[in-house]
Formats: sequence, C-alpha cells, structure tokens
Amino acid sequence: MTTHLQATLLLAASLAALPAIAADVAAGQAKVKEVCQACHGLDGNSQTPDYPRLGGQYPDYLAKALRDYKSGARKNPIMAGFAAALTAKDIEDVAAYYASQPEVLARKY
Amino acid sequence: MIRYCVLATFTLVLSAAASAQTAAPAGDPAKGRELTRMCEGCHGIEGWRTAFPEVYRVPKLGGQHATYLAQALHEYKSGDRSHPSMRAIAGSLSDADIANLAAYYAQGGPQTRTASK
Repeated sequence: MTTHLQATLLLAASLAALPAIAADVAAGQAKVKEVCQACHGLDGNSQTPDYPRLGGQYPDYLAKALRDYKSGARKNPIMAGFAAALTAKDIEDVAAYYASQPEVLARKY
Repeated sequence: MIRYCVLATFTLVLSAAASAQTAAPAGDPAKGRELTRMCEGCHGIEGWRTAFPEVYRVPKLGGQHATYLAQALHEYKSGDRSHPSMRAIAGSLSDADIANLAAYYAQGGPQTRTASK
C-alpha cells in the first residue's frame, strides 16, 4: 500500500516536473513586446505599484496565473482581456521569458 | 480620535496616490515581519511547490510592489482569488495586518538595483 502510494506520488511529481509544452523564450519575448511590456516592463521590472514585478519569477507560477486569468478563475478585468488573447503555447513562452529575466524578486522569510 | 485617524489616513492615501506611482499602502514592515510565521513555511522555502489543487512553485514575494501584494491578500480574503491555503490565511488577517505584511515583503528584494524600463 505504501509502495503504491509512493509510486503514485513519484509519478505525480515527475509529471508535474515536465512542462506540458516546451517553452520558447525568444517567442515569449516577441509576445511580451506585443502584449505585456507596456505595464510589466520588457524585463518584468514593473514601475507601477498596481502591476506586479515578474522578472525572475517562477515560470510555473506565471503560467498558472495566466491560465487562471484566461479561464476566469482569477478575476481581473485588465488581465482577462490580455490572457484571453494568449494561446497555451504563448502562455508557456511568456512565462519562460519573464522567468529568464534578471531577478527583481527574491524568496524572503 | 477615530475621525481624526480616518481623516489622516484618507489624506495620506490621497497624497500618496497623488505624489507618485511608487506609493504603497501605509504599512509597518516590522509589524509585518511578526506575521510571517504563517507565510514562510511556503514562501520562505526556495522552490517550494503547492501540492493542491495544482502543482507549481509558490511565487517569490521579496521586492514585489506593496500595492500589488496587499491587493492579492485582499482578493484571497474576499474569495475573488482562490487558493485554499491562501484563502484561509488571508481570511485571518485584518486590513492592518495586510498592509504590514505587504510593507514587509516589499522591502529588500534585489529590485533595489536601478530599474530599467
């Protein structure tokens, strides 16, 4: 029983570690210039306090946020419009691009 | 006294909003630090992943805009933003707690470098 549980957890962990779609940072940058830069900055270091800094944020968190905006699970009238225009591939690309930028955020205790 | 405080806060908010885009909700980072015990179990661990309902790394918070952080906590508290743990935690926070936590996490990220565009 324990072994079965461990195997299930291991499988779940390995599936979670695999990005669903291989991300393309260059394509992400192109999309960011088009859609995100005006508010979040090209490098994700937003200068507007209402708009979060994204540079160096974890890509899986960024992708999750965009999927939630797109689905409506996370409600924000501004982001809903932008996220709706992104494909699943765009979301992975944009998330990978901002995650690759210089860290403006840090883990903090 | 209460009226004075409300007026003072209102004035502060107005002047902050008017003065600059760097304005943040008035919070006390030292008081915020006292509340982080409930946060650091996830946000204080490098690469920590949420296990439910989806697996992804919990966001880095240090250096984030205080305004955004406070807004996120209010959204969790009201239920506009859903995450089981965050809803429970934010639900236990007062408005002052939220402002203090936001002020604490906004401090001291590496973003103190000169920001580019």
